[in-house]
Amino acid sequence: MDRGEVMSVSETTPRRLPTVVIVLAFVLLLGFLALIAWGLRRSMSGPISVGDRVPDIQMITFDGQTIHSRDLAGKVIVVNFWASWCKPCEQEARELEEAYQYFKDSGKVVFLGLAYVDTEPNSKAYLEKFGITYPNGPDLRTTVSQMFRIRGVPETYIIGSDGRLAAVKIGPFQSTQEIIQTIQPLIH
Amino acid sequence: MIASFGFGVLVLTFLVSLYGIGAAVYGVRSGKAAWVESARHAQQLTFPLVSLAAGALVYLLVTGHYEVSFVYSVTSNAMPLYLKITSWWGGQAGSLTFWIWLLSAFTTAVTLRRWERDREFLPWVIVVSLVTVAFFLALVIFFENPFNRFWATPTGEVEAFFQPANSVPIFPSDGRGLNPLLRHPGMIIHPPMLYLGFVSFVIPFAFAIAALVTGRTDDRWIRLTRRWTLVAWLFLSLGLVLGGRWAYDVLGWGGYWGWDPVEIAAFMPWLSGTAFLHSVMIQEKRGLFKRWNMVLIILTYCLVIFGTFLTRSGVLSSVHAFAQSAIGPMFFGFIGVMFILSLALLLYRWTDLEAEGHMHSLLSRESLFLFNNLLFMGILVVCFSGVIFPLVSELLTGQKVTVGPPFYERATAPLFVGLLFLMGVAPLSAWGHSTIRTLGRALWKPALVSVVVLGLVLLAGVRSFGALLGFWLVAFTASVTLYEYGRAVLARARRTGENLWMAFWNLAGRNRRRYGGYTIHLGIVLMAIGIIGIEIFQQETQGTLKAGDSIQLAGYTVTYRKLDEFDAPDGRNVARAVVDVSRGGRYLGELHPRRDYYYASQQPMTIPGVRSTLEDDLYVLLVDWRPISAEGATFKVFHNPLVNWVWIGGIWLIFGTLVAAWPDRDPEVEQARTVGRERLARQTA
Repeated sequence: MDRGEVMSVSETTPRRLPTVVIVLAFVLLLGFLALIAWGLRRSMSGPISVGDRVPDIQMITFDGQTIHSRDLAGKVIVVNFWASWCKPCEQEARELEEAYQYFKDSGKVVFLGLAYVDTEPNSKAYLEKFGITYPNGPDLRTTVSQMFRIRGVPETYIIGSDGRLAAVKIGPFQSTQEIIQTIQPLIH
Repeated sequence: MIASFGFGVLVLTFLVSLYGIGAAVYGVRSGKAAWVESARHAQQLTFPLVSLAAGALVYLLVTGHYEVSFVYSVTSNAMPLYLKITSWWGGQAGSLTFWIWLLSAFTTAVTLRRWERDREFLPWVIVVSLVTVAFFLALVIFFENPFNRFWATPTGEVEAFFQPANSVPIFPSDGRGLNPLLRHPGMIIHPPMLYLGFVSFVIPFAFAIAALVTGRTDDRWIRLTRRWTLVAWLFLSLGLVLGGRWAYDVLGWGGYWGWDPVEIAAFMPWLSGTAFLHSVMIQEKRGLFKRWNMVLIILTYCLVIFGTFLTRSGVLSSVHAFAQSAIGPMFFGFIGVMFILSLALLLYRWTDLEAEGHMHSLLSRESLFLFNNLLFMGILVVCFSGVIFPLVSELLTGQKVTVGPPFYERATAPLFVGLLFLMGVAPLSAWGHSTIRTLGRALWKPALVSVVVLGLVLLAGVRSFGALLGFWLVAFTASVTLYEYGRAVLARARRTGENLWMAFWNLAGRNRRRYGGYTIHLGIVLMAIGIIGIEIFQQETQGTLKAGDSIQLAGYTVTYRKLDEFDAPDGRNVARAVVDVSRGGRYLGELHPRRDYYYASQQPMTIPGVRSTLEDDLYVLLVDWRPISAEGATFKVFHNPLVNWVWIGGIWLIFGTLVAAWPDRDPEVEQARTVGRERLARQTA
């Protein structure tokens, strides 16, 4: 059968759309809508709020050490987001280090610093400038900051020894005292 | 008081829209034209009503009524008047109101046309327009009320429209001020242009749906909406170009397009809209592509709504993300209903939309248009998959993986190359039947010119394959387009005896659509030159300089002279460097890259110092600085060859669109006039 014949056939009888095609079109559309609905639910579930269990946080420090928060169970974990380009972060940098020194010997509190959207040389220079000694690393692919849905830097999230989020500080701490007072009641 | 008035008017508009929808449906079902007419009046009422509400909001913004939370969040006492007005679209609630205002302007305008010949479309056009208006009004009224006020309650501060029990209103003395990134002229015009583009696509969509519902499957709906589509396309293009310009001037990463999800969200309807603009010509000329055109316009409208949803619901993270808000689920519901209904309607009428002819030749103009459409769809598919990939990956692996610019660039580059090539070939191919031979005969002269240009580019020392291919295509398409112009002008001049200018003027005037289209093509070619320049030849370097030190890039020498730090009266701290620029020992002037730090929002902004010529841009950023300038400052320097052609091409393109969209004299009016004149002549005779 040559092609001209096929064409003339299709000309005379208007082709009905096969049911398969219709079903497929709707399945595709509904699948797409389902995906969007799922994404929307995820984004609506919002940040981890105080009292929620915090999923495992993984970070690689600037020294190349890998830290998992689940290995630190039973300790209070202070997660601080900062950046070398962030001026308000500088206000609390020394205070955080002082608070770290204050709790260091108790062995019950861990400080983790995560550099948010920063370059390594700048981050390191910042750590050196403020004499920060607790573990710090980049927040690779902004995974951790996305988990907490941070709005900016600095922000600090304190996880209690039960693995649940215990306190949130948006913006810089005003004093070493404020940091210590926030952490103290969480130590058992 | 004013706030209550504004909100009341919004609620009233919402009710009027609902009434209009009901009246139109009832009128068409019962065959009572008076109800449809009443629905039309309801639709005409929306624009004046929304204007009143908008006026109330702008009044609150300008007079600093900070007890209204939206006013508080986008304005401050220190802001100049024009920024107070434009901060109207500086936040979610305001920009939705602005959107509704533009939308109602368009939908009101469409009811003002004469409907005599298209009565059957009217009720359905009203239904589609008013459903969209009512939906956005509902968003504003129930979720994002721009007229909410601050109240102090015993448990804390709340934002609400109605006074909560035991509360007192709060009157802040100053507001937070507009996000500094948005205080740029480009940012002031960019959102309105984009919104105009978005909302004006509602009109062709409404006509398409009306055609589907009524079963009128000829090309009437396309002829009616051709100009609307061009206007929508014009504004969307303008919005995209301005957005690029804003990014280039303000974001400080040396580029103008970052393949950010929100950029892509605006680019996707542009792609399907452009495909639509091309393929409707085939339906008009040859009666083909009826279904495809329906698919395209429905897709474009859905992408407009989907893009708005993506931007505002926080489903995707992006530099453009608006604050998280509760509008997501409702928006999702609207999208779901619109998508499903459109698809159902389209499939229902599928058989009626049978093409009236056939394609006969692979090289005919209509098949080249088909290829053009396929390429546009290809780019759209790449963009779409890139945008939803983070969602898919999170669903399947639990990890949100974002695709970056390299993916988009690699995947779309060959498609763009194909489009550019088609843009060169298609205008010279014939409708209906074309062969290699006829096409070759038409093309060989411009092709020769482009080869000569390629030789010149090679002589100039360019060796990159991508650049050579790009420049050859640009030369080819430009010479084809100019050749088309030239040939037609000469032919006309010979035939009519007009001089060349007159021949050109009359030719373009008689065939505005065609020559406007070619002008747009030339604009794209100019933009392509800029894009090739920056994509292939961009260079960058970075260095920390002491005062007097220099950094070199692409033959330029940038010498750091000094840095001043001072407070500006509008609440920012400015660190402004002075650098000297010279090239080959010749002093060219000084640049002032600076870093503004906004105290109120604690937000830094990096503003480049740019030396801009047709040949290239030297783009200097102040990356870091120390308080004592002797210690030096770090600069990032970009050399962006040919980038200005992007903007020149953009302006050219807009000019071409205006030519194509310029209203023709209405043939009916013309005819009536001639008849009248003849009658008059007869009477006087």
